[in-house]
Amino acid sequence: MSATTAPTRPRKGFSLRQREEIDFYLFIGLWLIGFILFTGGPILASLAFSFTNWTGLTTQEWVGLENYRQLLFDDKLFWIATRNTFFYSLGSVILGTLGALFVAILLNQKLPGTTLMRVLYYIPSIASGVAVSILWIWLFNPQVGLVNYLLSLVGIPGPPWLASQQWALPALIIKSTWAIGANMIILLAGLQAVPTSLYEAAKIDGAHPWDEFFNVTIPMISPVLFYVLVISTIASFQILTDVLVMTQGGPGTATLVYVYYIYQNAFQYLKMGYASALAWILFAIILALTLLQLWGSKKWVYYEDPGT
Amino acid sequence: METHRLSRRRFLQLAGAGTASVVLLAACQAPAAAPAGGGEAAAPSQTETTLTFGHHWEAAFRPRQEEFDKKYAETHPGVKFEYTYNTWAEHNQIVPTWAAAGTLPDIIYVHGRYAFPWNHEGIVVSTQDFIDSDPEFDVKGIWEEALRLYRYNGKQHGIPYDHGPIILGYNKDLFDAAGLEYPNEDWTWDDFLEAAKALTVGENQWGYGGYYNTILELGNETGISFVGPWGGEVYNEEETKLLIDSDAARAAMQWWADLIHVHKVAPLPAQAQAIPAGPWVAGMTGMFALASWGTPTLIEQASFAWDVAPWPKGPAGRKAGSFGSGFGITRDSKHPEAAWQYMREYLSKEGMEFMWGSSGRGSPARQAAYESWLNSPGAPANARYYMDALENYAVTGHPYHTLAGGEILDICNRNTQLVQSGDMTVDECIANIIAEGNPVLEDAAKRLQGG
Repeated sequence: MSATTAPTRPRKGFSLRQREEIDFYLFIGLWLIGFILFTGGPILASLAFSFTNWTGLTTQEWVGLENYRQLLFDDKLFWIATRNTFFYSLGSVILGTLGALFVAILLNQKLPGTTLMRVLYYIPSIASGVAVSILWIWLFNPQVGLVNYLLSLVGIPGPPWLASQQWALPALIIKSTWAIGANMIILLAGLQAVPTSLYEAAKIDGAHPWDEFFNVTIPMISPVLFYVLVISTIASFQILTDVLVMTQGGPGTATLVYVYYIYQNAFQYLKMGYASALAWILFAIILALTLLQLWGSKKWVYYEDPGT
Repeated sequence: METHRLSRRRFLQLAGAGTASVVLLAACQAPAAAPAGGGEAAAPSQTETTLTFGHHWEAAFRPRQEEFDKKYAETHPGVKFEYTYNTWAEHNQIVPTWAAAGTLPDIIYVHGRYAFPWNHEGIVVSTQDFIDSDPEFDVKGIWEEALRLYRYNGKQHGIPYDHGPIILGYNKDLFDAAGLEYPNEDWTWDDFLEAAKALTVGENQWGYGGYYNTILELGNETGISFVGPWGGEVYNEEETKLLIDSDAARAAMQWWADLIHVHKVAPLPAQAQAIPAGPWVAGMTGMFALASWGTPTLIEQASFAWDVAPWPKGPAGRKAGSFGSGFGITRDSKHPEAAWQYMREYLSKEGMEFMWGSSGRGSPARQAAYESWLNSPGAPANARYYMDALENYAVTGHPYHTLAGGEILDICNRNTQLVQSGDMTVDECIANIIAEGNPVLEDAAKRLQGG
């Protein structure tokens, strides 16, 4: 009876804006509850744990800043893990971004088969992390691995990769290029959004293809490139699966990276308080790097004036 | 715009639905104190009781487990079983997570290295009262070396199911091809080295393949096996200090490193890792360190004839490390009495014979059950040398009663790995381990005392 008339009946007390706000909170409500309970809550709890000696189970005493003091001044492994992670991040972000950009430019050409190639390049990004890591153990096998076989074709004797203190971390950086597909798709979208009129104008002005690339393409996709750099940097600082499966931090401390060290402290040594302090320092490092990138972006990222 | 309008009634309906959803979601969580089958007071054989397990068995061994449980259920009507099978490595991280969430199964697998911290954290509860009031459960029939891994504050917590030492495994085919006599009870490490040299051929056959490809290691079962024959120790008895800077331990570690870099009778890590099955399983090494629990792998995968011999004698005599695994009743168990009733049969002589003896799995923790393994098709011809080692010269490998067990072993591994690859000298390795490890052990001792 009233079901058909109720929605159209005027309501006292609720303005349109209020009704829309109620809709908004109802829709976002469950997500918000989930976020507070399962993400926000644990994040705040970990901050509190970082000031305790909690094992994750029973012992919990307030130790103040002791975990942070120990990390920064007594823990050699903390600095090794931080250094290794910076090295990995630098290598994987540069190689991954350049690789993704290169492939995106190739696949932006109007040639037959590019759609298929885009799919093929993207597929590795959706493969299971552990399975891919195991695959790469085989690829890096010093004697029967594909990597050293390819090197041998050009007369280069391949190193022992994962068994070598010098080559294990570079091997992980090389492996990181496996998943450039996701960034490739983002950059490809950026490339396709560059107006062709700009290239036509550049051609009329007699611009060399390199000039087009550096003076049209790069500035026009710089916001996308900036996004890729920020996201890749954050992701690279959180590398874990590859190390867990492929090297377990070795040989020695050659691939001991930050999150693996957190994992060891939290779940293998039952030092959850210490691991929480490690996690918050990582948060501070990533935040500082992101702010640095944001500050630096003013010098090279070009945003089109929306008014023109 | 019409679609954005929201009547009060509609708002109340949606709000009610939302609240109901939250309540429903909360209700989906298992109530912490809900008894699963009749409650604590229920007699295990009278009412239905579901015992839950956290096992680490691989798929091939699960039928044996389930066969035992089927037989158990026949004599204990009303007892049912629920299993979670983890991999070995995952299990050791999953158990603390279960404990934090209050969802531990009734009975869990406990590796010897994790027993002490899990006892300390209260994950595994004491079984001492059960043992004291159950004279039929012959606890003294279990090797003392195995029991001590599961003792905490003088009380038995977990109960071991297997225990074994490291002794010398050898590839009979390669010995025959080299025209060498098999290793015997009189062998010293000098004899070992001479044979290793004779067995090393070209770049793909080595005299010695190590313990799971590791030539120098200071792990639970390996540490004392590698330095003990030279008179060295890895830890003091209290596990508060490393002792590898003694002349004896230093000489021993150098001797093992020299097998790779001086005598070249053992593979470099890169060479060993290039062979997916490992050089010893692949039949590319004449000798290898073989724990009793390593025998099923060889039986399943080795395509060569092999056997075992005593761990050779060193300048200070014969000494090897032993280690093992067990089961424990957890603090979250809803049926500790029923869990004990199960454990006392599972880990009785007959239970061990069925599970680890006649199955060929190996090295049951009871001396009386060991025979069933020695007589099984799964045991090598001279498997009695495992029992001989336990009776005469094997000692439980430290560390097993420090809270820093995992951490100290990682410190040792990180450094011994580099000695094996040739990136670090033995002296540097010892200095690093001492510098890094002693503070960790001291800190763990303080934590243990509540300091």
